[in-house]
Amino acid sequence: MSLMAVVFTGILLFAVGAAGFVLRGNALVLLLCIEIMLNAVNLVLAGFSRYLYGTEGQVFIFVIMAAGAAAAAVGLAVVAALRRRLGTADMNRINVLKG
Amino acid sequence: MFSRSLWILPALPALGVLVNGLLGTSWRERRIAVVASGSVGLALAAAVGFLAELLSRPPGERRIAVRLYRWLSEGPLAVDVGFLLDPLSMAMVLVVLFLGFLIHLYSADYMRGDPGFRRYFVCLNLFVFFMLVLVLADNLVVTFAGWEGVGLCSYLLIGFHHERKSACDAGRKAFVVNRIGDFGFLLGILLAAGAFGTVRYGGIAAVLEADPSFSAAVAAAVALLLFVGAVGKSAQFPLHVWLPDAMEGPTPVSALIHAATMVNAGVYLLCRISPLLEKAPAVLPVIAAVGLATALYAALSALGQRDIKRVLAYSTVSQIGYMFVAVGCGLYSAGMFHLVAHGIFKGLLFLAAGAVIHALGGEQDLGRMGGLGKELPAVSLPFLAGILALAGVFPFAGFFSKDAILWGSLGRYGAAFWLAGFAGAVLTALYSAKLLSAFAGREGYPGPLHRPGPVLTMPLAVLGACALLAGAGGLPLFAKDTFFARFLDMPAGVHGAGGPALETALAAGQLIVIVAVLFAATRRFARSRKTPSPALLADGFGIDRIYGLLFVRPLAALARFSFASVERRVVDGAVNGLGALSMALGRASARFQSGLVRRYAASLAAGAFALVGLGLYFSGGF
Repeated sequence: MSLMAVVFTGILLFAVGAAGFVLRGNALVLLLCIEIMLNAVNLVLAGFSRYLYGTEGQVFIFVIMAAGAAAAAVGLAVVAALRRRLGTADMNRINVLKG
Repeated sequence: MFSRSLWILPALPALGVLVNGLLGTSWRERRIAVVASGSVGLALAAAVGFLAELLSRPPGERRIAVRLYRWLSEGPLAVDVGFLLDPLSMAMVLVVLFLGFLIHLYSADYMRGDPGFRRYFVCLNLFVFFMLVLVLADNLVVTFAGWEGVGLCSYLLIGFHHERKSACDAGRKAFVVNRIGDFGFLLGILLAAGAFGTVRYGGIAAVLEADPSFSAAVAAAVALLLFVGAVGKSAQFPLHVWLPDAMEGPTPVSALIHAATMVNAGVYLLCRISPLLEKAPAVLPVIAAVGLATALYAALSALGQRDIKRVLAYSTVSQIGYMFVAVGCGLYSAGMFHLVAHGIFKGLLFLAAGAVIHALGGEQDLGRMGGLGKELPAVSLPFLAGILALAGVFPFAGFFSKDAILWGSLGRYGAAFWLAGFAGAVLTALYSAKLLSAFAGREGYPGPLHRPGPVLTMPLAVLGACALLAGAGGLPLFAKDTFFARFLDMPAGVHGAGGPALETALAAGQLIVIVAVLFAATRRFARSRKTPSPALLADGFGIDRIYGLLFVRPLAALARFSFASVERRVVDGAVNGLGALSMALGRASARFQSGLVRRYAASLAAGAFALVGLGLYFSGGF
């Protein structure tokens, strides 16, 4: 398996996540898209780590996974709070950031 | 040692301004009045000390000069803040501080209960400060600074009752008319700086002395320009129009600023530049002519007034005209003597008029006064002394000063000039009689009288005594070097053509005519109080209306036009246009803040892509 295949898969996964984040409306789906983008990065890190025979990349993967898990926990709580407060989790209808 | 501290004279009133102005916000009236009067009183005491110092020196060396610091220097021209105390400025300092002190005392009672009590005393102290700067300055620029300062205080105090529109208008009028004169003054300073390379009075005199072939035309031009400034400040024709209106100010202000001190600054300035005037003999007849015309014109106008303060105002204009006549005859010491005498008796008359107005509850119309002599003896006796001095009755001060001026004018400009001056003196007696009629005859005021207290009448008594005694400065009679002239030590002009016999005869004749006119006219005025005066005299020959037509109306029309077109369209248009532009920009950019998270994320990603793309492109990665 060549490095290129891994990198292109990573780019593809990241693009899928980014497109989903921009296009979809449901807050839960947006969280999933964030996870997809994080894992795309993890994949690329793993690929380079193997290509360069190093371990730093794999260490970073664990860091990112931990950060992602924490982000997901906070994100789920935010989504639940949003839903309870505004009665919806549709990000097209939530514009409380508008000044 | 003592003489080094000349700065103490202006510093004391300035201290009064600071103390009352900064600390006195919640003080009681009494303390404010004590601080204000005390600062002037201390300055007066210091001035008497300086007088003793001057008198202890031999005549030729009576001058104290102090250089405080260099104000500005530009090329060969350097202007120092320096003070000069010689007999000429000493006389002015004493007039300013003596009358200033008495009028401060008087004001403490007169202004009692006024909501602007503190403001009044701050302005009055500030006036005394600037007046001292004007008088003590040893060069034209510092004089000009004081000159403008007293103009400012005059403006502030004329408009003291700023809730009255007429007072504000009068203040503005005084300010604007004075600007015309000050423009001449300023040009004169510039020309003097260019021509002499110095603005110090001593320096100018030294240049003129060292170079006998100095161009008389240049000297005349400088003198004429400075004379224009003097005409404005001293309310001489044709710039006299502001002084009658200036009577809108409180009466003690009229006494101090618009009778005794500030309006005389023009005469003082001309005496200060006497070496220059001597170098430009062509200017002297101009000064004398303007003075004589003003003296006659204002005396006639005074006859037509009903308001007691306006009579006094026109009288002031007229008497200053006599001072200009004296300067125009080269009789500087006679002019200064009349200035001192006039300061005393006109200050007295104004203060007495203030006491009368106070007693009658604000009544200023002479037609409704009468018989006050019996009712207010403490006011009427000093008033009588002032009137006799004003009319020039022996042995009051005005007799000596006016006689010297008339006699000098006969010697210099001939019989016709003398006759006109004498006619002015007769007119003076006529309007003096009109003033006096308020105290004579039957009672004219129906209401109750508020009798003035001792604080009001004490300055009147002091000034009344001075009006009688100041004539002693004019002794020995009919001599060229009177006491006052010897003290001043100024160049004496060419004196009388005839002998002392002629002078004595003339003086006696003048005196008899004046006394007769004064006596007869007082009885006549007291009998027919209500007779209206000719309209021509009452509004000062319509000069105000002529100026209104010639200058005020066109300027007001121009102002309205430029307000409607330039101000509204161009200036306001540009300002409003800028505002509208930024509003539109703001509204357009506000659309980007939608509050939708996904759109923010999209623009973040787009920005990141753009940055990376640009970075790669410029680093040659593609």
